[in-house]
Amino acid sequence: MTPQVSGLLQDVLAHPGVLSGMVEALGSPLNVVVPQKIEENAATYRSVYGTHRLTGQVYFAHKANRSTALIRELAAGEIGVDVASLGELQHVLAAGFAGDRIMATGPKDADFLWLAAKVGAIVNADSEQELTELAEITARHRMPAVRAMIRLSAFDSPGVKVLSRPSRFGVHQRELPSVFDILDRHRDRIELLGVSYHLDTNGLDEKALALDGCLLAMHDAVTRGFAPRAIDIGGGFGANYLADRDEWESYTTELSKSVLGTRPSMTWQSHGYGLRAEAGTLRGALGIYPSYRPVAGARYLDELLSRTAPSLGRPFATLLMESMYDLYIEPGRALVDQCGLTLARVAEVRSTAAGETMVRLEANSRDISAEDHAVFMDPVFVCDDPIDADPVGVYLSGNLCLEDDLITRRRVTLPRMPVRGELLAFVNTAGYFMDFAADHALMQPIARKVAVYPAGDSWRWCLDDQYWPVKGNRE
Amino acid sequence: MKFDSILDVIGDTPLVRIDPGVHGLRNVDLYAKMEMLNPFGSVKDRPAWNMARAGLAEAVERGDAIVELSSGNTAKALAVVAAMHGLPFKSVTNRMKVPELKDLLLLLGAQIEELPGQTECLDPTDSEDPLTRMYRMLSEEGNGHLHTDQYFNPRNPEAHRVGTAPEIIKDLDGEGPDIFIACVGTAGSSTGVATVLRENNPDVRVVGLVSTKSDFIPGIRNIDEVNEVGLFDPNNYDVLEPVSAQQAIDGMLVLNRRCGILGGPTAGAAYFGAVRHLASIDATLETRKSAVFIVCDRVESYMSYVRRLRPELLKQPARPNSLDTVTEDELCSVESMDVTAARDWISVERPVVVDLRGSFAYSTLHIEGSINIVDELFDELVRGGLPFGAGQPALLVCPVGEKSARYAALLTRMGHRDVRSLRGGVVAWRDAGAPLVRD
Repeated sequence: MTPQVSGLLQDVLAHPGVLSGMVEALGSPLNVVVPQKIEENAATYRSVYGTHRLTGQVYFAHKANRSTALIRELAAGEIGVDVASLGELQHVLAAGFAGDRIMATGPKDADFLWLAAKVGAIVNADSEQELTELAEITARHRMPAVRAMIRLSAFDSPGVKVLSRPSRFGVHQRELPSVFDILDRHRDRIELLGVSYHLDTNGLDEKALALDGCLLAMHDAVTRGFAPRAIDIGGGFGANYLADRDEWESYTTELSKSVLGTRPSMTWQSHGYGLRAEAGTLRGALGIYPSYRPVAGARYLDELLSRTAPSLGRPFATLLMESMYDLYIEPGRALVDQCGLTLARVAEVRSTAAGETMVRLEANSRDISAEDHAVFMDPVFVCDDPIDADPVGVYLSGNLCLEDDLITRRRVTLPRMPVRGELLAFVNTAGYFMDFAADHALMQPIARKVAVYPAGDSWRWCLDDQYWPVKGNRE
Repeated sequence: MKFDSILDVIGDTPLVRIDPGVHGLRNVDLYAKMEMLNPFGSVKDRPAWNMARAGLAEAVERGDAIVELSSGNTAKALAVVAAMHGLPFKSVTNRMKVPELKDLLLLLGAQIEELPGQTECLDPTDSEDPLTRMYRMLSEEGNGHLHTDQYFNPRNPEAHRVGTAPEIIKDLDGEGPDIFIACVGTAGSSTGVATVLRENNPDVRVVGLVSTKSDFIPGIRNIDEVNEVGLFDPNNYDVLEPVSAQQAIDGMLVLNRRCGILGGPTAGAAYFGAVRHLASIDATLETRKSAVFIVCDRVESYMSYVRRLRPELLKQPARPNSLDTVTEDELCSVESMDVTAARDWISVERPVVVDLRGSFAYSTLHIEGSINIVDELFDELVRGGLPFGAGQPALLVCPVGEKSARYAALLTRMGHRDVRSLRGGVVAWRDAGAPLVRD
């Protein structure tokens, strides 16, 4: 499964000597981020806005990544940032973000609410309680009115009932009147900027229903005498990890066959990724990320905006433009696409009793959590010399003393058998996966981070927290 | 022919020979089994009725709902059967992909629930597939369901064993075909028919058609999805071959236009797959052979499918006074007014102000005194002529001033003497602080 590699990441991989020098100095695993790519990605979203004549703002969902370099790069650009904790808020403020480009989301305690209100961030309120607490804080601390959005999480569908996974966050469409009552009582404390939703799904139908619900909610708000201006549709636009559709399609077919037992197993202990065989029939669901996704990122947004609203009967983009509402989006994974990779050194290569090849890396499944997110993607073999050998199928295991510390439960393909000390690169992982799970389990060190940037005809690197946007070439 | 109930009309469909001049095969007689002529329009009428019939008396007595995991023709047939017997019909689906069918099901009184899409932040512990989810829902809700269970119910292929297959054999003078080509969905028709044909003639060749993996053809599963069907047994087929959505439409067009058989994309896939398979063996044949494929359902429900995949097939004739015909020169000579000039003009000349936005946006906020003619409606109006007097001054308003300029150009060409466009649209109006009302 050949990974998608583009932009500066290609140039980075073309210099194996420099990469091994970096790992030699800073240890394995090592995360490499490409700050300048994130602004490029943001531009593809803005071009979708342009096509549909929409105004609004792109907010990077900080939770996707802890890299300081990425945040500083964003601070130097135009887009905003969505923070989901007090720590993230402090981080972005220290990176140079002004409050007016920050959106505070997620569960919020009083400290988080106070700082968000103090710096003039938009507070994306999760519940009635949170709104009430926000009003109390602004009153007690004599702050100017705070811009707030109401997060909606469940919507009634016309015609066919569209089921959605229940969310822990937000309020039901039907609870809006009581939310408006709270806002009514605190008109001088809270300015209603608009409504938002965030659904945990890649289904366009569900998102279309939610956006439809948001438009209706905006209408209700206007009717109640508020002047809302923006709808925030969150993120979840997805990323495409693989270069080749055919590889993905034939692999998943073969995987089903191997679960049914009609071909040799392709996974550790015949792991089925959610599939199982019952009397010759395939049951369960393939619980993996759609690693090859033609409609992902900005194209996903375009598809959503081009759809016709289920109850309002016109395309969403038209409805938003006609109603003069700003569109806010909060991509995370989709915005850090091709913004990084993780390097890991081979620690040991050995054969199991069953004759399988096990490659142990100086990294673990928490550093490279592609398996947790079930993204099927082979690593890139980082090697100086041209390869003249037959490809090999190997399992990648980690450096923890735990049976389940497998970096891949499926056999991955390398162009030749690696030897101790050689490097594998997991493309795109430093863009999204690295910070979700990495910890100090078994006292193994957490990966260091470096930022790479174009300089002269080549590229240079520095530690992630040494990166500021004054570095590197700029057009 | 007289019948007591429409349910008695199910089955006994004709076998129609395809003109050799159309398919071009020299040594094969190709026949279409016209399942689209069943009363509810598809090959699924047989299994739906056969499955429902089994528990219907008890279900009626208890007032149970008929339940099925289907978004297609099985749901349609079951919805009719349920409605005829005064029972609710409930369908749970992965995703309804044919909007026309969705509306028809609602019309028939069905309750439909669409299952959620895949989560973006994957939870690998969640391995719930739609089937498991539905089984759990059924047991949580307790009794009160007649679950027809088409993917596992042996009464599904049985309907074809006792009906479809003997009819084909009888119509081919007791011989049965040499080759049988079937699309694989629930595997009901292909399994049921193939079993009987084999008993009749062990040498019959059975070709199963699946969809190309990245494509969607209604009623056909792809090579992975067939493995999820309890009735599917690869040993029933001599060969499984993929058909793409575009090929299905190609086949459908031949059936529709050259054979007068108004079958849908599934029938098209069957025809395309049949001819492709037969063409590869036609030249090697030394004796005459006969082949049969199934025309699964009718084309009418698939207009939106065709529109999506082959929009050019539904091309509309050019409309008079269409916005597309406005030239750059005409656009340049439009009088676009900025907000200040427009406000002055409104107060002095009292033009009619036409807001072209949707009624949803207009009803929220608009320029005082303006009237709302939604662009779609305005399109219709100008096709017939000017919607107001040629001398009546008019200011057209849209969101950002682009569409209104095009309409102003069009109206000018049509002979209007003083139509203008608000530059920057209602957005510029708002940004300039000019008043907007909600009345």
